[in-house]
Amino acid sequence: MHAPVAPVREPLIEGHKSYHNITEDLCSPTEKAPSLAWIIAFVVSVATMTFGLFSLAWTIWFGIGSWNLNRTIGWGYDITNFVWWIGIGHAGTLISAILLLFRQKWRTGVNRAAEAMTIFAVVCAGMFPATHTGRPWFDFFMFPYPNTRGPLWVNFNSPLLWDLFAISTYFTVSLLFWYTGLVPDFATVRDRAVGFRKKMYNVLSFGWTGSAKHWQRWESLSLVLAGLATPLVLSVHTIVSFDFATSVIPGWHTTIFPPYFVAGAIFSGFAMVQTLMIITRKILNLQQYITINHIESMNKVILLTGTIVGVAYLTELFIAWYSGYLYEQFAFFNRAMGIYWWSYFGMMACNVLSPQIFWVKKYRRSIYITFLMSIFVNIGMWFERFVIIATTLARDYLPSSWSYYTPTWVEIGIYVGTLGIFFTLYLLFTRLAPVVAVAEVKHILKTAGDQYIKQRATDNHASEVVKESNH
Amino acid sequence: MSGDHTFSMTGRERNVLFGFMGLGLLCIVLTFFGDDAVHSRFWSNYLINAVFFTGVSFVALFILAAFTTAYTGWYIVVKRIWEGYAQFLIVGIILMLVLIIGLWGHFHHLYHWADEEAVAADPVLLGKSGFLNKYWYTFGTLIILGTWYFAFARPMRKLSLREDVEGHDANYSLYRKYKWFSAVFLPIGAFTSAAMIWQWVMSVDAHWYSTMFAWYTTASWFVACMAITIMLVLYLKGRGALPFVTTEHLHDLGKYLFAFSIFWTYLWFSQYMLIWYANVGEETTYFHTRINEYPVLFYGNLVLNFVVPFFVLMRNDTKRKAGTLFFVALVVLLGRFLDFFQMVKPGVLHTTHEALAHSGEAAATEAGHHASHFTAGFTIPGLLEIGTFFGFLALFIFFVFKQLEKAPLLPKNDPYLAESLHHHVQ
Repeated sequence: MHAPVAPVREPLIEGHKSYHNITEDLCSPTEKAPSLAWIIAFVVSVATMTFGLFSLAWTIWFGIGSWNLNRTIGWGYDITNFVWWIGIGHAGTLISAILLLFRQKWRTGVNRAAEAMTIFAVVCAGMFPATHTGRPWFDFFMFPYPNTRGPLWVNFNSPLLWDLFAISTYFTVSLLFWYTGLVPDFATVRDRAVGFRKKMYNVLSFGWTGSAKHWQRWESLSLVLAGLATPLVLSVHTIVSFDFATSVIPGWHTTIFPPYFVAGAIFSGFAMVQTLMIITRKILNLQQYITINHIESMNKVILLTGTIVGVAYLTELFIAWYSGYLYEQFAFFNRAMGIYWWSYFGMMACNVLSPQIFWVKKYRRSIYITFLMSIFVNIGMWFERFVIIATTLARDYLPSSWSYYTPTWVEIGIYVGTLGIFFTLYLLFTRLAPVVAVAEVKHILKTAGDQYIKQRATDNHASEVVKESNH
Repeated sequence: MSGDHTFSMTGRERNVLFGFMGLGLLCIVLTFFGDDAVHSRFWSNYLINAVFFTGVSFVALFILAAFTTAYTGWYIVVKRIWEGYAQFLIVGIILMLVLIIGLWGHFHHLYHWADEEAVAADPVLLGKSGFLNKYWYTFGTLIILGTWYFAFARPMRKLSLREDVEGHDANYSLYRKYKWFSAVFLPIGAFTSAAMIWQWVMSVDAHWYSTMFAWYTTASWFVACMAITIMLVLYLKGRGALPFVTTEHLHDLGKYLFAFSIFWTYLWFSQYMLIWYANVGEETTYFHTRINEYPVLFYGNLVLNFVVPFFVLMRNDTKRKAGTLFFVALVVLLGRFLDFFQMVKPGVLHTTHEALAHSGEAAATEAGHHASHFTAGFTIPGLLEIGTFFGFLALFIFFVFKQLEKAPLLPKNDPYLAESLHHHVQ
């Protein structure tokens, strides 16, 4: 008895693929010499990364004074970029953990790349808290351990410390999850390889033989990691939001921050997945695995989370008025009409208004519009963090200390540099590992392959179904 | 119990439900006559139950819309039950209409902002009077609830029933139309429910505010809806009406109860912790009152709604055993009632004391130090509150049964039916 599939479902694997075709299509990119496009992209990414590392070296050599932070605006580009990158990572965890629990089969087309993106994004994010202290060689002070400095302990009441734990846990679990999925695929690559590559993938695949016992353990481990990762989807950005919301700064201290930050993180994460996948599927010729149907599903997630974020923005705005609290009211007036009005406008336009075009099916299924929108959302979510951080700090309780912040070339250089790091790592990943999870795609072939799904739909004709249900 | 899976209420069921409705009515009447001068206990009980069951039916509609939009297959075997819940919105309109009439006639003192003299003397309330006024309350409630019911719940139900009779064309146009309604309802439901929650519930504590509140309350409704569904499905299955619902479906319903109990706790913690941490007087007063004067409600809320479902449903097998699942659902349902009780009662009692003090009643002296006193029907739910709640629950179930009688319990032409019938979790 095969599992029935509703006739209204679209296939997730196109082109009448056999298991062999899947292996060939997904493993071959790691076996060929890189294309010219890859080489150009890699050179550009490494160059950008180098500039970022130079800017970082400049910061460490000359100190935080090379940034434009001042006594009013103590956080600027650094924490904006940190939150932006952490948010981007969230799509990978959502796809790998939450969508697994919700049995969404379309996740298999994009989970591998999205999880890789998560890890690279957290690497980029982690650089900012590590360097914004100005003395990164003292960063080990952030960890609580018995020490000879007094002993001087970290402040356990500080959400910044909770963030350190949250993000390091998140990174560890995401890495394990990603690597666990890679093990059988590395074995597949190994079995096709010769010479040094064979040795390398043999080590990477931990001697996987594909025995039933291996698969059984692999499935148990995947489920345990999914269980661990699910609360992490919520907890990481929740604790990032605590960094702001535990303070008594108007515009920061608002109780909706935790779930609203999580929704925004998933929103920006899916936008980055779209940006990456649209290019990747084209260059590696994966259109039959990452189909228009996948892109449409992700656009729906973007529409949903964009609207949730919209509900949160309007809730904040409304409650600021409703509270009758003068400073809260001013904070929101200042966001929309103050000196940084353009960033608020950019945020609203890119995050709430523009995703609404995805109500139209034609646009959801358009590659060009999806790509353009994914860039819009990335920009909008960056603006959101800038609005929250810079706009709020620029106008604090004391008008005498009001200020305006613009970044220096060093700050911009570090930010651009993290994009370089991110793309360098991603490009290396596309060369070393199958970008789409081979084993997991094979697992859904019989229920989501186009040659099977049509046959299934006719098999499960309504009359037969009702007959079965009556006994 | 024929092959069509039709349902009809037995005489015994009818009697039991009417018995509970009668008990509820009796409790309401007893409450009214044993009440203070402004009938605060009676009206606050009414508000809690009206909002609770209206919210459960709203959430049922929201679940149908969300599941349809997300191509969910497994739930089709219980779809008719949630359709029945969603139709209860029409009763919700009538229930809320009573509160609206009470507001215009000054029959109740549930809302401090409804007292014009108090508002004139209070700059905070004056600032909110653009939103907290009887016009907004009346027309907001009627228009929004009307939209939920007349523009979504009813047409969607009709489409679903038409599907049973007409079957499908090659394009599945009835299903696609249902999906269109679902997608449109999601943002409308999300925006409007927040506005109504602020009006109906949050404004009971008229000075206090929290941006989280609307989502917190919606999560509470969601869990309540799941708890009632689990119990009802188990009952109907036991009586042979839902032979196609298997342990697999119950397992998934149990997972929703488990997951959303945790989600509610997450929202509870986020709201509580941020207010505690920042320690701003305007905000902490809400929890300060509850912890010091209503400790049973404050801690009981967490025990019933988090500790019990979390620890019992964590295991795989407890979600697959009818008895355990029923027990947890019952505890959680009572917990959900307690949650709404603690949202409403402290604010109403405060407003009542102000109203009584103002009108020069004997209670005026009490107003100054009411804090430390036990007040029947406020500090903890009394028997009258529990009786009233079961009365409303019986009304809700009776209404749902009436809906279930109108159509087969299995939507035989739903495109996902085969997936749902062959659903396997493990």
